[in-house]
Order: sequence, then C-alpha cells, then structure tokens
Amino acid sequence: MSARLQAPLGALTLDNPYINASGTYGYAVEYAGFVDVARLGGVSVKGISLEPRPGNMPPRTAETAAGMLNSIGLANIGIEAFVRDTMPRLRELGVTVIANTFATSVEDFVELAKRFDGVEGIAALELNISCPNVHAGGMHFGVSGEAAGEVTSAVRAVTSLPLMVKLSPEAGDICEVARAVEAAGADVITMINTIRGMVIDVDRRRPMLGQKMGGMSGPALKPLAVRMLYEVYQQVSIPIIGMGGIGSLRDSLEFFMAGASAVQVGTANYAEPGISLRLADELDAWLAERDLVLTDIIGVAQDPA
Amino acid sequence: MKSLRTRITEVLTPAPNYKLLRFAGDEPIPARPGEFVMVRGEWGVHPVLPRAFSLVECGEFGSILVKPIGEGTTLLADMQVGDVLTVFGPLGKGYDLDNAGRRPILVAGGVGVAPLLYLAREFHAAGTRCVFIYGGRTEDDLPLADEIAEIADLVVTTENGARGEKGRVTAPLARLLDEDSNTIVYSCGPDGMLHAVSDVSQAVGIPCQLALEAPMACGMGTCKGCAVMGTDGTYKYVCYDGPVFEAAEIFEAAS
Repeated sequence: MSARLQAPLGALTLDNPYINASGTYGYAVEYAGFVDVARLGGVSVKGISLEPRPGNMPPRTAETAAGMLNSIGLANIGIEAFVRDTMPRLRELGVTVIANTFATSVEDFVELAKRFDGVEGIAALELNISCPNVHAGGMHFGVSGEAAGEVTSAVRAVTSLPLMVKLSPEAGDICEVARAVEAAGADVITMINTIRGMVIDVDRRRPMLGQKMGGMSGPALKPLAVRMLYEVYQQVSIPIIGMGGIGSLRDSLEFFMAGASAVQVGTANYAEPGISLRLADELDAWLAERDLVLTDIIGVAQDPA
Repeated sequence: MKSLRTRITEVLTPAPNYKLLRFAGDEPIPARPGEFVMVRGEWGVHPVLPRAFSLVECGEFGSILVKPIGEGTTLLADMQVGDVLTVFGPLGKGYDLDNAGRRPILVAGGVGVAPLLYLAREFHAAGTRCVFIYGGRTEDDLPLADEIAEIADLVVTTENGARGEKGRVTAPLARLLDEDSNTIVYSCGPDGMLHAVSDVSQAVGIPCQLALEAPMACGMGTCKGCAVMGTDGTYKYVCYDGPVFEAAEIFEAAS
C-alpha cells in the first residue's frame, strides 16, 4: 500500500482507510487464502461477548430496497475461544484486528476490555454500544450521552488500547453522544451502526424476521450516515470512522469529504468479499491522479464554498 | 475458493418457467455435487445480496438452474448470453458420495433437481446406477427430466397426474425402501418434501442426506444469517455446516 493511503487515527495509523465492518466478515480467518486479509486496512471482528451466544431465532435476514435487515443477535464464540483459538491465526495472518466487543452492562464491558488488554495483536478496541438486536441490552448505552459516557470512561480506565466507540443512529441527538464519548476518553468514533427496520411477510401476515425487527444496512442507509457524520465532525476533534452503505470508491469519498478519517465496509462484503482491497487500490489511483494524499480530502466538504 | 467474473455462454429453457444459465470464466470452479456458489449480476445496488446456487454442471463451464421467485432470481432468469455474472465458491459441504455399496435413491423436487442431476452424473461416471425420483406439481415443473432419464432409472410423480405417477415423491420412495433396504437416500427440494423424505427414510433406518435451501448473505459462515435449529438443540448454519445434512441432524424421526 502506498503512503498516500495512510489513515491516522490518533495513536493508531492504518495502512489504508478501508476496514471491514463488524458482523460482516466473521473473524477474517474464514477469508484467508481467498482475500489477502493482511492488506485490509483492518478488520473489526464479529462482536465478542464474555460468553458464547447462539444468536436469535431465524429467519435472521431479509432483503430490503438497496439494503437488508439482520437480526443475528450477536452469535459469537465468546472471548475465551476467540483469544485462545482465533487470535493466534490472526497474528499469523498479519491481520490488523479491531476487537469489537459487546455487553449488556458496564461491568461486562469493563471485564471484556481488561481481558483484551495485553492480548498480542489487537490494534484497537471497539465498543458496540449500538446493537439493535439484543433484548435488554446494548443499544441503550448508545442512545443517551450520559450512558455512553459512563461506559466509555469505565472502559477507558482499564485499557491501554486505542478505544473506538460505535454510535447508534437511533440516538435522539447523536452529536450529544459523540461529545460525551469524546469527553469520556474515546480515541475514535465509529458511526453508524444499523437502524431498526421491519419487513412484513404479507403471505403469512407476520413480520418476516424471527425477532420481528432487524438492523438495516446497505446503500439505502448512506445519506443518513453521511449527514450524521457531517454533523458530528463539527462537534468533536477526535477522528471518526464512517460507515453506512459503502460499496464504491465514490461512496467512500463522500464519507472522507464529510470528515471521516477512515471508513468501514459492511454489507458490500457479501457480494464481493475482496471489495475493500479493490476500493483501496481505486482510491490510491484517484489520489495519485490528483497528486493528493488521503488526509488532504478529509472534511473538505465542510469548507465554506 | 475463488471469485470469478464470468460471462454467460448459453441460456437454456429446460421447462417453461426455468432457465439453465451456463457461464465460463478464466478457470473452472471445482465444486462437488451439493456444494454451492454465490452468484450476482451487475445490476447496481439492488438487490444488494448475491444468491446461492448449487451447481448443475462443473467443468470448463459451470451452470445453475434458476426459477424466478423474487427480484434477484427474476433478474438472473432474464440474463442473456454475454452478460457478466460474478461467481464465488465452491462453498459448503456437499453430498458424501461414499454410498458404501448401497444403491443410491435420489429424490428431487423443483429446482432441487440441480445438485442431484450433478450427483447422478457422478454416480453414472463411477458405474453406479441410481434410482431418481423426481416430483413436480405439474409436467411443467420437471426441468432436466430427460437428461436424468439417460443416466438413471427415472421415476416421475406429479401432483396433477399429468406425467408419471399421480401424487408425491414419498409414495414411490416408501415402496422402493420397502423392497430394498440396502439403499441410501439423497434429496433436495422444498422443506416440506425434505421433511417427508426424512420421515420415510428414518422410519426404516435408511441413511438419508438432505440439501437444505436458505436465503444467505455471506455464504461462508461469517454473517450467521442462515441458521436452522438442529435436533440436538443447537443452531446449524446452512452455508457451512451444510447445505447437505444427515436427515437426523435436522428432522426428528416421525413418532
């Protein structure tokens, strides 16, 4: 990767700004031998909880106009198996690992952070305070500045890893939540997670998904995500990782120009598991043609005309 | 596993509402019977997900059998020679071809014929004669029946009786299993049919492998979308625990 693609995120600098989003790329090891996973800007692994979780009642996915709903319910192997079985393979592969963690209490978020601190090969910790798919948990941290600040500062106190906090578009005022997590010591903001939607199966006269609601992702979400990022950028000084419907170079340029220092690619991985590498190459060519580096374009759409 | 940009080389209409798309890329995708590929055309951002298909043929070209059901399959069914198809795979766990000397009985319904025709061809090439029970609602729901007749003992059922035996696949299946217990069942089709095939096979203790169908996002075990509850009380993922399962892993034996 050329130097012009470097994406500085505080203490952490990524070789390129395309990260694969949590929940859409497993633990990355599944793609080894098929995609050069070491070249990815990073992989935010499937949300990890203290205990393994079996996931929600199916059906768990439904397609929507230029997007999809999912209600997976954070099916995952748990931190013990992840650190013991998956991390050695990720280290061997040279993947830039972002440990996405999920819990339903501050205490459990703190416990996860403690157990990840000192694990070799973790580039950053990402707090999922915005999962819409788990009963009694998760998203309530992400919809109020006070709760988001509380969990962030508690985790900050026990981790030396760069700390990313992933925000929910369901917050009444996402800027308030962003300011709160910055004040509480977050190094980076990731935004946005999915927003809850529903599809009705008209033949069965019931919601399509087993859990009725699911998080919406995909291209349909992009304008909402860009708008929120544009607003949050004006209110915080820590770097922001943008996401929501990115599937092309131009999509990602919108996020960079709105103020994202890096981006995450999610739903588009399903159609093309190597898309992030393709986008990195396309961005490299786009920047080279204009004699620019990535940091030259971050937030440029914020400038007065 | 490979991701290939392929072009459609041939579009056949093996029955009124079915298309067989043949495609070729720079190299073949070496899928075994029952393994599948994720397929998407260049149609922009909607529908966003690829579609999972078992291969009917695999070699210098591959092929899939498409029945237009929703938006994605309708777009695929309308594709023309020369159109680009992105294909990645092979994925999942296919049929176990080790029949241990048992006579294979293949049971297909609708588009479920796709992996079983491939399987029948593999058995044929290995010198093993299969029985192939093929059910449709009407005579128009039996694509590729003529190809099957060339290489296996074909038994057709239709619900309206227009072709073959009137009724469902389970009637001839039960008779065959009653006549010969040194058999093994391989099946693919709608859920209701698979459940019935499982009941008939498990009732007489005949080994039975079923290929399940499920909407998928990733196709490779990472999104956890295609969960089905197994008889052991844990979720199985169609894309990587399957799509082929032992019947008893998915369906309790009928009491």
